[in-house]
Amino acid sequence: MIRFSGRLRSALIIGLQGIRSRKLRTLLSMVSLFLGVLAVVVVQAGASIAERAVLADMELYDGFDGTVVMEMGGSSPKVEPIVLDTVAGRSDAVAMTGMQAIIGEPGVRPVNQGGGSFDDSWGGSPMICDEQGNCREQTPAELGPQGQAIELRLTALTGDVRQFRPYRPQAGQWLDFTSVPMMAPRLVLNKEAAKGFDRYKVPAEMRVPGASANMTPQFVGVVDDGDASPRAYVRLDELTQWVPAGKLVDPNMGEVRVLMSSGTPVEQVLTSKLKAVNIEPYVHIVNSREEQESELALMRWIFLAMAGLVLLIGVAGILNVGLATVGERVEEFALRRAVGTPRALLAGIVLAETLITGLLTAALAIGASAAALKALVTLAGDSQPFLQGVEFPWEAGVAGVIAGLVAGVLGGFVPAIRAAGIPIATVMRA
Amino acid sequence: MTALIQLSGITKVLKGQEQPRTILDGVGLEVFPGESIAIVGRSGSGKSTLLSVLGLFDRPDQGTYLLSGNDISRLPERRAAKLRSSHFGFVFQRFFLLKHLTAAQNVAMALVNGQGWLPRRERRARVMQALEQVGIAHLAKNRPARMSGGEQQRVAIARALVREPKILLADEPTGALDTETGALVIDALLGVTAHGCALILVTHDRDHAARMGRVLHLDAGVLTEQVAVGGTA
Repeated sequence: MIRFSGRLRSALIIGLQGIRSRKLRTLLSMVSLFLGVLAVVVVQAGASIAERAVLADMELYDGFDGTVVMEMGGSSPKVEPIVLDTVAGRSDAVAMTGMQAIIGEPGVRPVNQGGGSFDDSWGGSPMICDEQGNCREQTPAELGPQGQAIELRLTALTGDVRQFRPYRPQAGQWLDFTSVPMMAPRLVLNKEAAKGFDRYKVPAEMRVPGASANMTPQFVGVVDDGDASPRAYVRLDELTQWVPAGKLVDPNMGEVRVLMSSGTPVEQVLTSKLKAVNIEPYVHIVNSREEQESELALMRWIFLAMAGLVLLIGVAGILNVGLATVGERVEEFALRRAVGTPRALLAGIVLAETLITGLLTAALAIGASAAALKALVTLAGDSQPFLQGVEFPWEAGVAGVIAGLVAGVLGGFVPAIRAAGIPIATVMRA
Repeated sequence: MTALIQLSGITKVLKGQEQPRTILDGVGLEVFPGESIAIVGRSGSGKSTLLSVLGLFDRPDQGTYLLSGNDISRLPERRAAKLRSSHFGFVFQRFFLLKHLTAAQNVAMALVNGQGWLPRRERRARVMQALEQVGIAHLAKNRPARMSGGEQQRVAIARALVREPKILLADEPTGALDTETGALVIDALLGVTAHGCALILVTHDRDHAARMGRVLHLDAGVLTEQVAVGGTA
């Protein structure tokens, strides 16, 4: 161990002396290697950032990995009471029921009839369905005149769903489930709904099918939920003060969904109860990372292969300079052998020099990439949402260090063997 | 007294040519601690090859090489390197100083050779001691380019002495120096024999050879002893 440590130190000391004495050559080696390591770092950083961005979007829409999602058609009136009874008061499961809501002037047709995005106009009349599932287009008389009203999907929650869905706060606050339910339901809008309210100044009167009366909602916050259609979130217990039980699920476009932690008994109990009334729930576990990794892996490998090619050119540069340097230092290596330096240490000296060069280059490439990313985030972060909060990924740093080390070893291997094989007698002859 | 070096029947043949050429032909030699030996002979007579075999740069094709009684004729390179470090010091005609290192760093090079590790303070002390031994401690921080030929050769001698070798091999160390400087270098080399280190000097200079305890003549690979013309310093 002591011998190994002594040789390592000797290799490092002599390697550093060699680098100091040949600064220009070291610089030339670094220049040729810099682009290769930079390419590896940039590809790895880009892939990691893209992966995180894609994963964050998928989590926003589908939920965190491992979340158990149970979905049921909302057309059966039996679903709602079973779900709400089972989930009520639990912290490991949250039920979400969806229904149509119109906020604005009463008796008018919403500006986005059908609840679509405010920038899209799909044309045609909206459909209406009866309880047997028979659907037809609404007549102009049924539609009424268009006015200052906005249609959106209203999602009622039995608890704080953010443990399963990482909604990004945009403004205001999220729903407070710890306070006493209010008579004026508190709403949190998604970005699209907020855009609608910003664009169209509508009165705060909310109509929900089946409600005993129109409500006056309070807007408490805005979140990004990944949904392109306008949506608002409300506490279920605040909504039930206006909408009687059994009417909380829209018979036309009803949706009932329960998000649960894995391993909760809710899944089994709820499944049994629903099966008892001949309803087969659809259950799946969110696994965004695996889906996304398989999609991005191939692309990452293609880019890494291209970066590897650039790195190889850098390795060739180090190799070239290394061979030339060993040729110049024949006397030095022969002399070192003469004073008792083992062949292995001579090889180690050359490898130490190329490894130090590789590591210095890697440090420069990583530093340059990190600085460039920081500058990009500072300059373009406001206009490019995916850049907001982006930090230099540590995986890219590790990849850069590995690339530098690999380049050092590959570029120094042949010169190291040459250095170790220099004959003393021939060189030192007077 | 036990011989430090015992060579018997050492033969070295140069291969790779149409006709293999015998460089050393059954050389026998005994070297004792503190002894000074000059090896003289014409160019191409095998002097440097003999020094290469003695210094473990090269292996003999035939014969026995005993170092302190141990047979090292067929030593693997790893052990040969260790022995070179612990037993031998080398001085060459060309000084082989590294231009980018100071005199002290050039001397320290023999201590940073992977054969054991000395702390920096101890390394520095030994380097300064070796430089003082050859009278150039004041040049420790100078680079070779700022030193005369004689000073450079003395740095090379200090490098050879810093590990306190038992045998000092010098291959025409005055070949690149004027007469006066050459004499000073020989003084420095002879000085080490007082501490029990054996000196083997390859030289063309009869005056320098005459200052050694024994003079050996190498001709066509055959080593013969000449009549002693001087004594140890």
